[in-house]
Amino acid sequence: MKSFFTARRLRWFAAAVVMINGLFPALWILATSLKGEIELTAKPITYWPADPTLQNFMAAFRDQPLLTYLLNSALVAILSTLLSLFISALAAYAIARLNLKRQDFILTAIIAVSMFPLVTLMVPLFEIMRGLNLLNSYWALILPYTVLNLPICTLMLVSFFHDIPRDIENAAMLDGCTRLGALWRIVVPLAAPGVFTAGILAFVNSWDEFLLALSLNSAVAYRTLPVGIQMYQGEFAFPWPIISAALVVAMVPVVIVIIVFQEKVVSGLTSGGLKG
Amino acid sequence: MHKRNLIDRIIDPSETTLAWVLLTPAIVFILLIVAYPVASLIYNSFFDIRLSRGVPIRFIGLENYVAAWHDAMFWRAVKNTMIITAVTVPGALVVGLGLAMLANMPFKRRGLIRLSLLLPWALPLAFVGLIFAWFFHSEYGIVNDIIRRISLMFPGLGWEPQIWFNSPTLTMMAICIATIWKTSSFMALILLAGLQTIPSSLYEAAEVDGASRWTQFVEITLPLLVPSMLIALIFRTLTAIQSFDIPFSMPGPGEEAQTLAMYIQLNSVDYLDLGYSSALAVFMFILSMATTFVYLRYVRGGKD
Repeated sequence: MKSFFTARRLRWFAAAVVMINGLFPALWILATSLKGEIELTAKPITYWPADPTLQNFMAAFRDQPLLTYLLNSALVAILSTLLSLFISALAAYAIARLNLKRQDFILTAIIAVSMFPLVTLMVPLFEIMRGLNLLNSYWALILPYTVLNLPICTLMLVSFFHDIPRDIENAAMLDGCTRLGALWRIVVPLAAPGVFTAGILAFVNSWDEFLLALSLNSAVAYRTLPVGIQMYQGEFAFPWPIISAALVVAMVPVVIVIIVFQEKVVSGLTSGGLKG
Repeated sequence: MHKRNLIDRIIDPSETTLAWVLLTPAIVFILLIVAYPVASLIYNSFFDIRLSRGVPIRFIGLENYVAAWHDAMFWRAVKNTMIITAVTVPGALVVGLGLAMLANMPFKRRGLIRLSLLLPWALPLAFVGLIFAWFFHSEYGIVNDIIRRISLMFPGLGWEPQIWFNSPTLTMMAICIATIWKTSSFMALILLAGLQTIPSSLYEAAEVDGASRWTQFVEITLPLLVPSMLIALIFRTLTAIQSFDIPFSMPGPGEEAQTLAMYIQLNSVDYLDLGYSSALAVFMFILSMATTFVYLRYVRGGKD
């Protein structure tokens, strides 16, 4: 019996379990999105579409303004990520480099923001945005998302700024660069991998957010993907193949991001994100 | 040092001044989007603010809290939230640990393994809710299909396909399974990083001493993983208390599988009862802070 569990077989088994667990749900949605109406309701269910069709994808774009949702999501996620990176680069530089008392306390205070439950912010933000007439606008989401991403971005940038030798900065300042000039021209470019990783994490966070998007931006023109994708369901019916097609379209950007940047994402999540 | 004029000081301020100037945007944003809302939340929770009825706003002291105390729907939402937390936090830890151990084997090509761990983390929770709702579909869902196949092979088990979203219990099960799937991969990534920092010499020494695989796991792996586990657990617990996206995206038997976050969202956005929903949100706020406090105490206690 023991010889059956060779190291090689064990490795194959481990790889299979991890991959099925991680990839199966997405693949199953892809399979569903390619099935026609007749095949979908066939019993027993088929595992892979016998007669793949793209009609569900056409329906997904026809029944709901899926492209608008995609663009809204991209706009909100990209702008809040850039804003968050900019603000946390300034803050991280002050914490990591400048003559500042109680640096640890300030950093902890910024990180503590991530401990606040989003729901408790949602109720007052709903009232505030309502008062400012900002419900159903891009700012209603960009502003909160920027703050939600400050902790992770600041934390990562502080640890990356710490690793840059002060001499390089001092040399630049001797050559007539101001402090801020040194920050933008020397420190940020040198910390580019960290800035980039923080940016990806912030982007995914914003891209995934649902509660605020649902509560603050319910109008069609400002819906983001997670909200818009819920709108395919009628009162009693879930058009599953069409929802699946919309999900496939919506998953593509995320899948591209994690395939291209997987090493950065993993390093960001495991080291930078939890360091300190 | 030469005397500096005003323009010099603006262009090249002292380090401490510059530090505070650089911190200002972050502080302003946090005050505006976190501190002020939390303060106004606590303030509002003492008022009767029902925007839909056009009733004038008035101070009512603790009445919102008293109303919550007598509100059966609130307690059911709290109970559901507690169940989800109690099931999915340990669940994600155990599944995540399993995935991390499997993924830690010496593979030649790690790309697909890493992608498999990243995809559940990167998918929006709202998508995961929909995907699992389809898995648990009573007619065409794959879960019932598998149950049907197993029951044909082993009729003795007495397994039968279920109408998952008709029953509160089964809906809660579906919610918990979806949540564990979504969150265990993040747990696995954190634990995998922890596993890779354990020096292999420890295992070799244990091997020499004749320790079994299980003993090695309990005596070496688990204790050394505790630090990475704790941080992941704090965040996992805090997000479990806020469970909203997955239960909201599943069809479910309506109110019976409602979580606290869903109930708060319903009262604020749909009923426009901002006083009552503020009181409920204050309750959740206290719950989260208490959780963080307990964990941090434990972390500190562990260090002594």
